[in-house]
Amino acid sequence: MTKKIYLDYAATTPVDPRVVKEMIPYFTEKFGNTMSIHSFGQEAKQALEESREVVAGLMGAKSSEIIFTGSATESNNLALKGIALARRSHGGGGHIIISSIEHPCVMESAKWLETQGFEITRLPVDKYGLIDPEEVKKAIKKETILVSIIHASNEIGTIQPIEEIGKICRERGVYFHTDAAQSFGKIPIDVNKMKIDLLTASSHKMYGPKGVACLFVREGTKIEPLLHGGGHEAGLRSSTVNVGAIVGFAEACKIAKKEMGKETERLTKLRDKLIKGILAKIPDSYLNGHPQKRLPNNVNFWFEFVEGESMVIQLDLMGIAASTGSACSSAKLEPSHVLLAIGLKPEEAHGSLRLSLGRWITEKDINYVLKVLPGIIKKLRRISPFKGRRY
Amino acid sequence: MGKIGPYTQKVIEYFKHPKNMGRMKNPDGLGKVGNPVCLLPKQNIHINNSLRTIDKITLAERVLSSDGRYNKVNKATKRNYSGQILTIKNKLGRVQLTPDHLILAIKLPKGDKFLRTKNKKQLTPAWYHAEDLKKGDISLYPILKEKDNLNCIAIDIPKPKWDFKSKELPNKIPLNSDLLRLFGYFLSEGHVQDKPCRTFISFALNINEEEIVKDINSISQSLFNLEPRIKRLPKRKTIRVDLYSARLARFFKQLFGNGAENKTTPDFIMNLPSRKQTALIYGLWKGDGYINIMRSGARAGFVTISHTLAHQLKILLLRQKIVPSIYIDKKRKSHGVNHKESYRIHVGQRDSLIKLCSILGVKYIPRSYSSVDSWFDKNFCYTPITQIQKSNYEGKIFNLEVFDSHSFTSEAFCLHNCGDVMWLYIKVGKNKKGEEFIKDIKFETFGCVAAIATSSVITDLAKGKTLNQALKIDREEIVKSLGGLPIIKIHCSVLAASALSEAIYDYLKKKKREIPERLEKAHQRIEEEKKEINQRYKEWIKLEEKMHKK
Repeated sequence: MTKKIYLDYAATTPVDPRVVKEMIPYFTEKFGNTMSIHSFGQEAKQALEESREVVAGLMGAKSSEIIFTGSATESNNLALKGIALARRSHGGGGHIIISSIEHPCVMESAKWLETQGFEITRLPVDKYGLIDPEEVKKAIKKETILVSIIHASNEIGTIQPIEEIGKICRERGVYFHTDAAQSFGKIPIDVNKMKIDLLTASSHKMYGPKGVACLFVREGTKIEPLLHGGGHEAGLRSSTVNVGAIVGFAEACKIAKKEMGKETERLTKLRDKLIKGILAKIPDSYLNGHPQKRLPNNVNFWFEFVEGESMVIQLDLMGIAASTGSACSSAKLEPSHVLLAIGLKPEEAHGSLRLSLGRWITEKDINYVLKVLPGIIKKLRRISPFKGRRY
Repeated sequence: MGKIGPYTQKVIEYFKHPKNMGRMKNPDGLGKVGNPVCLLPKQNIHINNSLRTIDKITLAERVLSSDGRYNKVNKATKRNYSGQILTIKNKLGRVQLTPDHLILAIKLPKGDKFLRTKNKKQLTPAWYHAEDLKKGDISLYPILKEKDNLNCIAIDIPKPKWDFKSKELPNKIPLNSDLLRLFGYFLSEGHVQDKPCRTFISFALNINEEEIVKDINSISQSLFNLEPRIKRLPKRKTIRVDLYSARLARFFKQLFGNGAENKTTPDFIMNLPSRKQTALIYGLWKGDGYINIMRSGARAGFVTISHTLAHQLKILLLRQKIVPSIYIDKKRKSHGVNHKESYRIHVGQRDSLIKLCSILGVKYIPRSYSSVDSWFDKNFCYTPITQIQKSNYEGKIFNLEVFDSHSFTSEAFCLHNCGDVMWLYIKVGKNKKGEEFIKDIKFETFGCVAAIATSSVITDLAKGKTLNQALKIDREEIVKSLGGLPIIKIHCSVLAASALSEAIYDYLKKKKREIPERLEKAHQRIEEEKKEINQRYKEWIKLEEKMHKK
């Protein structure tokens, strides 16, 4: 059997064994319900609060400002709908600004709010996927209640000038939400310095377990819950608390805090090696996203004359797991909206490939990819009728 | 090794080791199909269930889509077509379409008809080509899901300057069951007189319909503070109820249209919660409906000459989980009276009739058990196809493009141009019998795994065959040789078959030989599609560039 290399860390990551070790007691021995007042419950409650403190610490927030949720999608939904509904119940206006390269859960939430009578502005991006803070400034009007911009794109990895946008929003008195599911735990985030009011972070993108995420909600922010019930998480997310997973999330945060500096340096080096290698070895290949302002683990290319799904399956046959923005691999048969937003034509979006690195990727793996990929592209180009001529 | 991605072992095998791949120098024939562009889903819609009316649809109109919502029409296109078309009938209406059209349906497994009711949950709907469906298969009709609970409506007709004597109307009228009942009466029995100085609403009722007269009287007094004038005309066996208010009359005209043929129900009523709409159905049925529960086959019906109203009532009934059937009564003359073409909505199924009777407040104790052939779930009404007819058609066919996908055709229809391109080269030789056969064949493909595998397999299938045999290779044969393809990739096999027929077309054309009619038609269809895609693509690029200049 060929070697297996997982290069899809942006989709999800394996759970770090250190995290698993921390989690296990909370499934068997310390299984209490945090709402119970007996010692089992209190033990779980204490673990929950300690975890909250750790997660808050990684983003410079107070522990009371962290709401644990079930997924980043839920956090984003809560942020957008919660703010919008709270404002509506106070009789205020309803204008929300998002970017055109948000994750589908933000896109779709905004679309739903549009049907509920809110006005949505989708900011365009430049060819690197960057948002111009000036555009944000221009788009904010009297009725604007929320600006939601993805911190780092899940597809092309571009990191937005969050600090500047945060400053603008603070000046204009508009809530600012950022979806940091891809960036949290990978690059430093400080909610106070960046003037963020709401922030989404996810556990399974940073070597924690799936099924847990959090939303940072700045003290004093008016927000409505989506789930009503027993009043867990300060009444903002009623549901029995998934203590085991939250403990894992916290442990993943601890590890990230300790190792972030070194890890970023190492991955950046590997990333640049991969980018340079592909550009050198494969003609007619183009990097998507910004060359420097990008996540240390994200590489996204488009190759002329080949189709993404074919590439992914060929790579899979060679033991490499990757992902594509091609329409043929999506259920809707539409190419990725992010790639279209940065100005790629549909046929170019078809030929895109995302490789995302992570903790267990070594230089050897990168060398293997650089050895295999050119052959695959060459083979697919040989089949393609377009080789050697522009269309 | 099992499946890779959604593909079978065979597909992967052909993908991994494609046969006959590459370019051919000096081919005898070359077929180019496909387009590297993925466009937004393209829709073929049959609003009102006929080809005749689709041409009347204009942009920005909204049509019911398979997600149960009204979606905007972005684009209406037409093209010439000549060839076979299918007429598919079910209880809800009639659809005419081309055989390659995709329909949301359930194909029944072979065997007992009961399967569809007994094990209905196990049957999953999918998109099928019209030609693959048979009588008895289940078609799906979306249930309208738009909801907007309006509580009040305002009469937005200004009072004329010179109007000093007409009675003051309330500014806002509560949209309650009384008002909806009145709307129902108006839709079935009312009309608006609109002449200068003589503008009023008039209901023409049968002499026996005293009950309705009373109801209109009380509603009008309580809601509009208007006392209707009631004229009994025993000789003509009618009662006329007139509401004298020009503003109200114009308001009604604006809402419902005038003239029995043009009556429609406005959107805000169609979108009310289904609970509220029962009052409207009550009013409609009391007016133009009939119900006969005494006879052995108990039934209820509603007759109108407004095509739109008939289909709107269908949608309203479906929301109440009542299965209607629509029949068309042709134009006729009886007893010296001209009857226009009318639409009869028939409710005969036991469960549906029980529901309808409870809305109408009629006691109905069903005497017999009848079989159930239609059922509902949250999103769809499932009814069997009752008839499929083939016929030939020559003329224009119409296409609509609907905002945000869906409708009677799928996302799957966009598959014809999901972004695959195939080029097929052939070399033709002569066998011992003197027949021309495919001596050599090569392909080049830009596309996904399925596209590469299908083009590879078709070269395998075609090699060595005579031209006539090669032309007979169709979608099914390709899919079969690959051990199956995922449903959303079926179009790749269609593309491969088209590429081969195009290559043969090219060869015959080069040799200046006679081209079979079927081939010529297929070629024209492909050319038209290409043109259309290129046109749309240009528009798209223009738009995109404009966006980025901003």
